[in-house]
Amino acid sequence: MGYELRTKVVDPKRNTFTYLVERFGDKPASRYQEASFNIQPVENFHYRPTWDPAHAIYDADYTALKLTDPYSYTDPRQYYYTPYVANAAERYESFAQTLKYIEERRLLDRLPENWHLVVTDFVIPLRHYESGAQLISVNASRFAFGTTVEQPACFAAFDRIGNAQLLSLVGLSIAGGASETLTEAKKNWLYSAALQPLRRMIEELLVERDWAVALIALDFIDSQLYQLLYAHLDDRALYKGAGAYSLLARHFNDWYGGHKKWLRALVKAWANDPDHGDANRTVMAAIADRWYPRASEAVRTIAAGVAEQAGSTSALAAADRSAAETAGELGKIGITVTEGVPV
Amino acid sequence: MSTAKTRWVGVDLQDSDDTRMLVEAMEVDNPDVTVRHMPGIVKLQSATELVIKRETVEEKVGRPWETHEFQMNIVSYAGNISEWDDDQIVIKWEH
Repeated sequence: MGYELRTKVVDPKRNTFTYLVERFGDKPASRYQEASFNIQPVENFHYRPTWDPAHAIYDADYTALKLTDPYSYTDPRQYYYTPYVANAAERYESFAQTLKYIEERRLLDRLPENWHLVVTDFVIPLRHYESGAQLISVNASRFAFGTTVEQPACFAAFDRIGNAQLLSLVGLSIAGGASETLTEAKKNWLYSAALQPLRRMIEELLVERDWAVALIALDFIDSQLYQLLYAHLDDRALYKGAGAYSLLARHFNDWYGGHKKWLRALVKAWANDPDHGDANRTVMAAIADRWYPRASEAVRTIAAGVAEQAGSTSALAAADRSAAETAGELGKIGITVTEGVPV
Repeated sequence: MSTAKTRWVGVDLQDSDDTRMLVEAMEVDNPDVTVRHMPGIVKLQSATELVIKRETVEEKVGRPWETHEFQMNIVSYAGNISEWDDDQIVIKWEH
């Protein structure tokens, strides 16, 4: 008796949702696409918000920066819930391991005195900065239009609160589990002269009505601040025997490297939009005129504080360099920065 | 085989979520590739050569991708692997 082996294929009735078929063709869609496209409610908004009758509850007009099709932008990291959470958990895990290593060898106690001061007086107070950045990001997520834009903004907000928590862990570790370092850090955040321009700017961004302006201006600070504190000082720490600083700084530097990808891609999408590109570029240049000098000044003041109080000879030059480099990078993706760039 | 002269190179990949992005990347880099879906596998064939570029794949999958990850998806291939470095994989007949 002979057997004939044959394969029988049962094709799925539909490859994916109709709106994805219309957009990408009739083929199976990626999980990112299925989790991100056309989720934003766009119609049947019955009432206008009492606190802003000029807008609908979800409205593209909450910002001056427009996309013809909000879904023309996609997160280059393709984060939806699962990969984001997996990635964030991994990040936390690796930070916890570093901290454990540092605690076991008491490396924070062995930091040279001036590096200890950099950590307690400049870096740990930034947990309040991160917390402000969280509010700005979550506000962007609420008022943006289009899920592909809202999604990474929301993840950024969670990352920010995560960063604040990591900084707090370092503070707790320094004080052996007690809260003194954190209390001290809050005083520094409120009163240390070197941090006031930064605090002032982040607080003004909290009340900025246009979410995109706040997000872009926040990145003006981030880009310079992260480069100064977590890239430049990390490098110096290795030469100056402050191993613990370098071990910790690496995590923040790595995070910013990934974070800036989605935001820079969004800026690019705004700058190159077929209908609104020119208008967007004008708006973004105006944002740069208004906020870039403030961001540079805030970071430079911190660098001056590090130079004065911790005896750094290179921080000021590094701040100027990062202000110039950031301006160059932004120029390439469509934000013309003319003010606040050191010559 | 369409003619005696044509020597097809090809690669068969497992049909999964991962390979879908690989196939899309290969379609970008190899305009003459023919893709056939079969139960469980995807057959990619070309009359010239097949190139898999790290950059294109990374753009599609949205994360860093190393060329050795390609091995995870290969079922079979036809041709010589004439180049396999950090940036690209080239499959073609060398003789």
